[in-house]
Amino acid sequence: MDLQYDTEHTILRDGAEKYLAGRYDYRTYQKIAESDAGWNSDVWTEFAELGWLGLPFADEDGGIGGGPVEVAVLMETLGKSLVLEPYVPTVILGGGIVSALGSPSQRQLILPAVAEGKLRLAFAIEDRGTPVQAKKASGGYVLSGAKKMVLGAPMADTILVSAKMGGGVGVFVVPAETRGLVVRPYRMVDGGRAADIEMVDVSLPSSALLGNNESAGATIELTIHRAIGALSADAVGAISSLVAATVEYTKTRVQFGQPLAKFQVLQHRMVDMKVKEEEARASCLFATLSLDGPTDRRARAVSGAKAKIGRAGRSVSQSAIQLHGAIGTTNELSIGGYTKRLIAYELLFGSTREHLRRYASIISDPAVASAGLLSAPAN
Amino acid sequence: MDLNISPEDIAFRDEVRKFLDSAVTDDMRRGVELTTAFINDPEISIDFHKALHKKGWSVPAWPKEYGGTGWSAVQRYIFDTECARYGAPMFNGAGRAMLAPVLMKFGRPDQQEFYLPRIAAGEDHWAQGYSEPGAGSDLASLKTKAESDGDDYIVNGQKIWTTHAHKSNRIFALVRTSSEGKRQEGITFLLIDLDSPGITIRPIVGNGGDHEFNEVFFDNVRVPKSNRVGEENKGWDCAKYLLEFERGGSLQAGRVRAQFTRLVKLIKAHSPDDPDIAVRMAELGTDLDAMEMIDISILSAVQSGGNPGPISSLVKLRWSQVRQQIAELAMDTIGEEALKWVGERPLYETLQLPPDEEELLTQTPRYLNYRAYTIFGGSTEIQTTILSKSMLGL
Repeated sequence: MDLQYDTEHTILRDGAEKYLAGRYDYRTYQKIAESDAGWNSDVWTEFAELGWLGLPFADEDGGIGGGPVEVAVLMETLGKSLVLEPYVPTVILGGGIVSALGSPSQRQLILPAVAEGKLRLAFAIEDRGTPVQAKKASGGYVLSGAKKMVLGAPMADTILVSAKMGGGVGVFVVPAETRGLVVRPYRMVDGGRAADIEMVDVSLPSSALLGNNESAGATIELTIHRAIGALSADAVGAISSLVAATVEYTKTRVQFGQPLAKFQVLQHRMVDMKVKEEEARASCLFATLSLDGPTDRRARAVSGAKAKIGRAGRSVSQSAIQLHGAIGTTNELSIGGYTKRLIAYELLFGSTREHLRRYASIISDPAVASAGLLSAPAN
Repeated sequence: MDLNISPEDIAFRDEVRKFLDSAVTDDMRRGVELTTAFINDPEISIDFHKALHKKGWSVPAWPKEYGGTGWSAVQRYIFDTECARYGAPMFNGAGRAMLAPVLMKFGRPDQQEFYLPRIAAGEDHWAQGYSEPGAGSDLASLKTKAESDGDDYIVNGQKIWTTHAHKSNRIFALVRTSSEGKRQEGITFLLIDLDSPGITIRPIVGNGGDHEFNEVFFDNVRVPKSNRVGEENKGWDCAKYLLEFERGGSLQAGRVRAQFTRLVKLIKAHSPDDPDIAVRMAELGTDLDAMEMIDISILSAVQSGGNPGPISSLVKLRWSQVRQQIAELAMDTIGEEALKWVGERPLYETLQLPPDEEELLTQTPRYLNYRAYTIFGGSTEIQTTILSKSMLGL
């Protein structure tokens, strides 16, 4: 058991915070959110130079072999700075599924280019209406169907697409310019970009199927869990920024002849916010440290974190706006930016209620409910 | 970073389990399950205490030279968690967890030699004489008076909310020995035998039907000055030191998880298909997981030689709320069954029903009693004010 950050974690966090503080303030966020592209290519290149775009990839894939903890450390700082560049779509979702399923040659083709900042990815998972089907054809596959809420798809060079095939499911590498692929982009509440995609008889070579694997369901779920873990750390960053900003604001704002922070009713509300932040952080850490563990434990920790942090985010953002007063309702301050970021967190990859139901179904086994969180390592 | 326990700790856990297999009897388990107050009666725990003492495990948290086990933080977590999982009896912390550290720090060698082994062996049962009718959260306003008379003090006054005074043979009490200067500077810490002439104990029965608290009256009670801990008028130092142990200190995750597990089983039996109950259960489960992670992070900080910092002060605040909410959902889960009331105590002697029916009768009393969790040991409001200073710097 060890829950202390080591020196490398601290260096990663401090370096990221320092870089983002100088490079990515709230005005930068607003400008990028309102731009047509929704991301900044210079920033992306700098992420590559900092080593962030290959953080979780293996050394031989051009990465630096970071695990869930390193990803979480970085993601918390990205959340604090409201970074809009498609880090989770490219590195965690797209890069994650290629790392997990790809053949050596597929990994070589894709991952080093991602790490160098030359290739952006998206992972189309959620079906819209008829599920995407892949049918075998001469020399390859033909895909048809539609997907929705594909994060980062508008700026992706390559989209990974999950498709039903026979009794199972596979993941296909689909370059953005492929004939028959239609991308319908939209902006999301937090300034992020996503798209619905449609495929009508899209022909792909047989080398497009990741790892030639037709039963990728469990690996797709693992990749989604890793994305939820990463986004949870991002949300914890947003929550902690809201708490810090609110405490700071009430120390300086004077009404009735004294700073707002002197009023006990406001002090107590801010303690409530801080307690929620600490519980959100603890819940995120449980999920992060369970990502490489047994499936049931991972599902329990991830759904628990998604629900717990979603609720905390809702409550903390409401309090932050309330304690800032009228100015908290405007887009002058970052309060609104974090609030919208946390709405996006809550709604992506399953709502709070859905995750509570999943969590309930796992925890209703008394043997699971009664076991402490420290445990013998799984073999 | 990881949540793994080492092979040595797994061996330790197996040793703990082997011990508990024989030391925790069905009668004890039933006694604990039918306890609706905060702590089970000492009648339920005494044999367990003796078994622990024989094994050398009765006071694990104490320094080794006083009879502690010298366990690591992880081993203490494992021991606490396993005891809770087995439904082992609990002990009143007044002697072992509150008075003992004070004696070790402020007591004379002869006091340490006399009292500490008796606490470790389960021979003495201590009550805590702090609160008074006019001194609750504002403890320093206490009025119980001790006047010098040769080698003795003569004590007059009243204590209240004294847990298990009626099950104890001794009480440690804060008494006023001076009304000069600051209020805190006229307080003295005394050890008093509860069978001394002039002491009257009157029960306070809670909303839940349990007699756990008492009023203790002192009418010209003669206490030898040799029973004073520390110097005269310096008792506030002992009091503050002791409160640190009352508010933080022990791990609660194991006990709360055991309470939650009973809730999970209750829901399975009574409301398995109610989606609202399931969602509330899940919310509490995620609260519990997060709080256990905070407990473990405190362990981890201590283990690596650091200080857990202000986060340890939110532990009391949140565990008390989580325990209340589990009790509340348990009552809601059984619907109209929660109306049935048995007023006689102890329930483990009164009731002679099938176990699942007996369990139903505990839920409403427990809900009512547990309202006190957010009041004693520093109320939620006091804790929140403390946190606004320690965590937010306000």
